[in-house]
Amino acid sequence: MAKQVDSHEEWLKQLAEESRRKQETFMNGIAEKLRRPRITSAPEHPFRGAPDFWKAFEWPLEERIDRFEANFKAAGGHVERLADMEAAKRFIADKAEALSAKYVIRQNQPELNELGLEGALEPLGAAVRVWNNDPEENWRARAAESDFGVVIADYAAAYTGSVTVLSSKDKGRSVSLLPTVLFVLIPLERLKTRLGEILPDFDAAGREALPAGIHFISGPSRSADIENDLTIGVHGPGVVYALMIG
Amino acid sequence: MSTAHTASTVKERADLALNDEFLRKAVKFTTERLRNGKKQASEEHGNWDDWRERGRQIRLHTIAHLDYYLNLFANNARANGVHVHFAETSAEAVKLSLEIAQRKQAKSVVKSKSMVTEELHLNHELESIGVEAIETDLGEYIIQLAGETPSHIIIPAIHKNRYQVADLLSKEAGETLAPDTSILAGFVRKKLREKFLEADIGMTGCNFAIAETGSMVLFENEGNARMVTTVPKTQITLMGMERIIPSWADLEVMATLLPRSATGQKLTVYMSGITGPRRQADADGPDEMHIIIVDNGRSLQLGDPEFQELLNCIRCGACLNACPVYRHIGGHAYGGTYSGPIGAVLTPALQKNVAEWDDIANASSLCGACYEACPVKIPLHEMLIYLRRRKLEQGHGNAAESIGMKGFAAVMGNAKRYAGIVKLGKLGQKLVVRDGGIRLKLGPLKGWNTYRVTPSLPKKSFRDQWGTLEQELRHGLQELDPNVRSRMESIMRERDNKGGNGHG
Repeated sequence: MAKQVDSHEEWLKQLAEESRRKQETFMNGIAEKLRRPRITSAPEHPFRGAPDFWKAFEWPLEERIDRFEANFKAAGGHVERLADMEAAKRFIADKAEALSAKYVIRQNQPELNELGLEGALEPLGAAVRVWNNDPEENWRARAAESDFGVVIADYAAAYTGSVTVLSSKDKGRSVSLLPTVLFVLIPLERLKTRLGEILPDFDAAGREALPAGIHFISGPSRSADIENDLTIGVHGPGVVYALMIG
Repeated sequence: MSTAHTASTVKERADLALNDEFLRKAVKFTTERLRNGKKQASEEHGNWDDWRERGRQIRLHTIAHLDYYLNLFANNARANGVHVHFAETSAEAVKLSLEIAQRKQAKSVVKSKSMVTEELHLNHELESIGVEAIETDLGEYIIQLAGETPSHIIIPAIHKNRYQVADLLSKEAGETLAPDTSILAGFVRKKLREKFLEADIGMTGCNFAIAETGSMVLFENEGNARMVTTVPKTQITLMGMERIIPSWADLEVMATLLPRSATGQKLTVYMSGITGPRRQADADGPDEMHIIIVDNGRSLQLGDPEFQELLNCIRCGACLNACPVYRHIGGHAYGGTYSGPIGAVLTPALQKNVAEWDDIANASSLCGACYEACPVKIPLHEMLIYLRRRKLEQGHGNAAESIGMKGFAAVMGNAKRYAGIVKLGKLGQKLVVRDGGIRLKLGPLKGWNTYRVTPSLPKKSFRDQWGTLEQELRHGLQELDPNVRSRMESIMRERDNKGGNGHG
């Protein structure tokens, strides 16, 4: 790394070469300390994942709903069970009116496109933005100034009271993070019992199919760092609604 | 650095801590809260020992094949578009981090909690090249403003009360903030929002790295780690080389053990798996992502049968909360980046410097509560004994102690010699006994008498009385005193009536 390089790309390339060399000495050093030759093919891993008794565990749907609700509420979140997407739209509109929301940001997902939030909220004076529908926009800043963020969960797990959101071009990580109030819509068929029904999907998908961000969210942002006193909404959303649809 | 760090021995630092009443109360309260939370969460979850065993097996397997899994992780992360780097020493890791910051012409770095960066004293290094480093975890931010180091791995500002926090934050705000936690946290939210949005680099630690997909996983409650990995254009992650697990399926076990053991939560509010920088079409996430894999003494444990299991640690802090010594002296008394039982073993192990840190190994009662609490069953109490033994083997023992022990052996090994010494002692103590005890704080009595009173040798010792006692036992006490007998009989009758030993 002694030689001075000019362009950023060149410098990164030089670092990469250095890194590959270092990687070899690193791995050889590990093998040597473990007093055996380098292992270069996948070893047998008999303890992969949760214990066997756990892998068969599953609650019936009604219990999943009840447990999810109890856990999410215990973590400081709010849960509503709604009949359909129309009811979800009304719920969000009522909250927008009650809290005088000015800016709402939502993911660019087909279910949300059909929801018609724009029509319901704009008469109330709230502007609805759709994530990443204009490449010129600073979307992080738009999410940061939003009062509401609206997302659809890719998964939910009842046992821990968690929702899972995956990022993509149309699904910003900021939408579930930067607004003050977060609404997560959970289609009931995505509600599982255990994390173990969700995580292996990412193994099965494989590296190349994974999104940049996979986020499990289990309530509002919290901290107990000052005198053990629970504070809600430290950096992420302080109010989180899980809307169970169906 | 806090004042606690200027003292050179664990005893001096502990004395400072013991004199701080708020600290002792706060540490006790917090550790009890976390310990009870863990107990409740693990009992509610059930089969806790099976899960611990599974966690241990996964960690043992990964470390035993670390060259394979770490190599796989590095290759996959690189394929995801991450710039992967290897640092053997803390100096190399610092050099790499600073170089990236300089190349990016960074003015500020926002950080989420990372014990590795504490090991490297990276904030200080960044400041030295004119880059502002901002801790964004609420507790870490508070102690950074105070110019101190974390005293607990999970609750870093455990030693500060809200009045002290209000003073620190008021200075930062330029106005007086009320000592109300929601007002204080509200100020930090607003202040750090600006910092997140203007920072050039986000810096994180790494709870787990998934070898098969090259993903890194972060557990947190505040959302600051998500901020740091979502908003700035460049992300730098520092990870210990042993943070690896093979797969996402294995993450379920770690996600079951870590939050329950740390805070008693079923899962932290956020668990994020990050796989590479933002995809080309994404509108957030970093453009450029670096992962620096740090050794800094970790690999010294590999192949060492007594200490290799140290690398299984998942940094939950449960051993701190379980430890009676930690509860009394707090984190700063340990003097290193890591405190409590794990710190007492990890600090000297990472430095392979038994002499300098030997006194930390002595700050333990060897009760084994740390092992009981550990979610991956690391035998920390045994490792503390290995450390003490190595200290002696390397000639770092206490000369006076070993002479004393030899003398003790010589005296105790011979009854006549023992009787002679006791007789001498009875004569000699006449000079120093006051009110039936010895309070002299000189020579070998100094350590003991600082806190206690040594009882004087009795005029008639147990040995002196043994002849008479034996006679009495053989002949005089064959019949029970009638009063005693009737009392015992009535107790037995009572017990029979109630049944169940009073527990029923």
